Amino acid sequence: MTQLGEGRTQAMSLRALTKRFGATLAVDRIDLDIPTHSFYGVVGPNGAGKTTTLSMATGLLKPDSGQALIHGVDMWREPARAKAMVGVLPDGLHSFDRLTGGELISYAGLMRGLPKDTVRERRDDLLAALDLDSAGSTLVTDYSAGMTKKIGLACALVHAPRVLVLDEPFEAVDPVSAGAIRRILQEFVASGGTVVMSSHVMALVERLCDHVAVVGHGHVLAAGTLDEVRAGEDLEARFVGLVGDIADQRDLAWLRQS
Amino acid sequence: MVATVLRLKYTTVRHQLAREWWRALLLIGGAVWSLSLVPAVLWASVQLSDESADVRADILLVVAAICIAGWITVPLLVTGLEDTLDPGRFATFGVSARQIAGGLTLAAFLTVPALFFAGAFVVLTLSWRDSGWGVLAVALVGAGLTVAVMVLGARVAVAWSARAVNDRRTRGVLLLAVGLALVVLGSVVWIALRDGIDSALQYEAQTLMEWLGRTPVGAGMVAAESATYGRWWSVAWRLALMAGAVVVLALAWRDSISHALVNPVHRGGGRRRRADAILASARDLPWGAASGPSRRSRLARLWRTDEPTRAVRARMLVSWGTDARYLVAASGVVALPVIFFAIAMPVLGLDTRWAFVAPVMLAASIGWGRHNDVAYDHTALWLDIVSGSRGGQVMAGRAQAVLVWAVPATVLAAVGILAWTGRWYAAPGLVGATLGTLGATLGVASVTSVLLPYRAPAPGENPFGAEVGSLGASLGAQLLSSLATMLVLPFVTVPLVLALTVHAGWGWVALVSGLALGAAFGVGGVRLAGLLYDQRAGSLIARVS
Repeated sequence: MTQLGEGRTQAMSLRALTKRFGATLAVDRIDLDIPTHSFYGVVGPNGAGKTTTLSMATGLLKPDSGQALIHGVDMWREPARAKAMVGVLPDGLHSFDRLTGGELISYAGLMRGLPKDTVRERRDDLLAALDLDSAGSTLVTDYSAGMTKKIGLACALVHAPRVLVLDEPFEAVDPVSAGAIRRILQEFVASGGTVVMSSHVMALVERLCDHVAVVGHGHVLAAGTLDEVRAGEDLEARFVGLVGDIADQRDLAWLRQS
Repeated sequence: MVATVLRLKYTTVRHQLAREWWRALLLIGGAVWSLSLVPAVLWASVQLSDESADVRADILLVVAAICIAGWITVPLLVTGLEDTLDPGRFATFGVSARQIAGGLTLAAFLTVPALFFAGAFVVLTLSWRDSGWGVLAVALVGAGLTVAVMVLGARVAVAWSARAVNDRRTRGVLLLAVGLALVVLGSVVWIALRDGIDSALQYEAQTLMEWLGRTPVGAGMVAAESATYGRWWSVAWRLALMAGAVVVLALAWRDSISHALVNPVHRGGGRRRRADAILASARDLPWGAASGPSRRSRLARLWRTDEPTRAVRARMLVSWGTDARYLVAASGVVALPVIFFAIAMPVLGLDTRWAFVAPVMLAASIGWGRHNDVAYDHTALWLDIVSGSRGGQVMAGRAQAVLVWAVPATVLAAVGILAWTGRWYAAPGLVGATLGTLGATLGVASVTSVLLPYRAPAPGENPFGAEVGSLGASLGAQLLSSLATMLVLPFVTVPLVLALTVHAGWGWVALVSGLALGAAFGVGGVRLAGLLYDQRAGSLIARVS
């Protein structure tokens, strides 16, 4: 079969992935190929099915049908092998908040089967690189939203995965930390890794990603390299063109202050 | 504002009923069950009216005392019953406690249990109707105030306990106070019943009731008796005392609301911890490096001491030590054995051998109490799931963290009971049955916590609260896990019964069978739970959040 050949060049392949919640079809037979060594942006309006798709690709939500392959390994047939290659930062899910930041990274490392000394070393590296040194001994429950994002990213990185799947990694993160995260991710891709990132910020996607997919109503509306998808326009205009603008642009006259 | 809050409450209920129709059945079932008690209440009222005034007042006083104690303790012991509107949810609307307190209070009174108790007390006080209108009026006012004390007392008890448990500084004091109260209650009951139940009813109970009649617990009920004898001063101060108590409780409830409005509970109190408890749990050598998996000892394999298991165990031990929800669960397990030992046994006049039930009950409470264990981590489950197929290790780590404190606690209880009865010859049997029960119930609970998880309060939320929308699911899961627990219990407890009734030699059988079967059920249950966990990893998060 060609699947094995594809698996070598594709870091992640989604095949007819489908998920239904009651009456709503959240994800409708999505096909997506994410090449190895790419910085892939997934954009789409609220409720488009981005988080659902990424959850199914990372083993957090079982699809109703379809496949999710990580470097050719089926996430739902051989989860242990597939999960070992993926680092995940989910959006909107909390972490064990009674642990300190340092303990949370250690926990993620030990759960990934790393030996103690490696975990200690990587924990300290990650706390320093993400400017969490002083927060390493604070309970995660006392973290701000941005710090929670950063500690989540550290947990996703600790086992040096081949593919990083990040849901809104820059949300609520301050510009200085965002710069640090950007550098880490760009170096990761430059060294041969793959990053899949969802975002609502088009400027950020244009700046960081070399590939992009526009998702809407559970379908892939456009996918490919950044230039292919942009087709000469800027990404935001193209995005609005693809998903459609708000139909009723009502004037909120009562909101005006004078 | 009162109408707005009430409308909000009933809109929420209506939407819940529309989404989950079986909830309506539950509500109707509750109402029908309450109505079915009406004939019993009427009959009691008729019987009461045949009694003399002082006997009638005594009986009503005892009923009121039991009801008030129930209203205050049941929501604290049986977590998940409480689903009133959480005042904290109003925090962002810019309303003051004064504005919403009325609505929240009225909503608390307009529930099936509150209405039932109000109705029941009105019917019971109608037994004063032969004593004239004045007496009946006094009785009705007293009954109304007593029900108000119940409902408001329950609100204040839950609010204060949640506040105290969530605050690190008061938490220790609270646990100490609860422990002391239990000890005092136990000793009082034992001293009172030292000379048998008849003498206790004759002397101690009389004194106790006289005193209760001067407190907000019973003053409302005794007022009518005073009225029949024309002691109007006594009526006046008793009713004033009741009214005062209601006002104080209402103010305390309002104070709790305004506290909840400005103090979101989702904080850890700025605590810092230098040492890495998780990393410290790991061994210095990577697992399997020193010796191949085949050369590890049998016991070590059973304990599955690989790094992920140790990490989960260490994390759960942090939760058991600091998370309010776990602290409440851990202190709640003593309720049933203490009630049995300190109240049921002396009242029923049971033989001292029955005391051996208490440690077994404690072990079963601990084990059964973990039947929704996985759901308590619903906000963070993803980290375990994305780490690979770690079900076996996750479930083993969770169970081990419970055993770390539960084994010493149950053995201590068993030794305490042995010392109290002086029947040391029963030691092997009791220890075997207790530990066997712990292992077996924990195994069952592991499986149900993966198979039938229901929504649990999120970390930092009111540990006594039920997640809105979970009451029915929780009842189903609790029923099924209790049933499964009942099915496995005889395996580990029957030899102890034989040791106590037939021949002491059975004690050694109980020890061996208890340890062996407890370990078998425990390890088997945890392993099965681990397999199920991996199988259902893709739907677990959706089920619990």
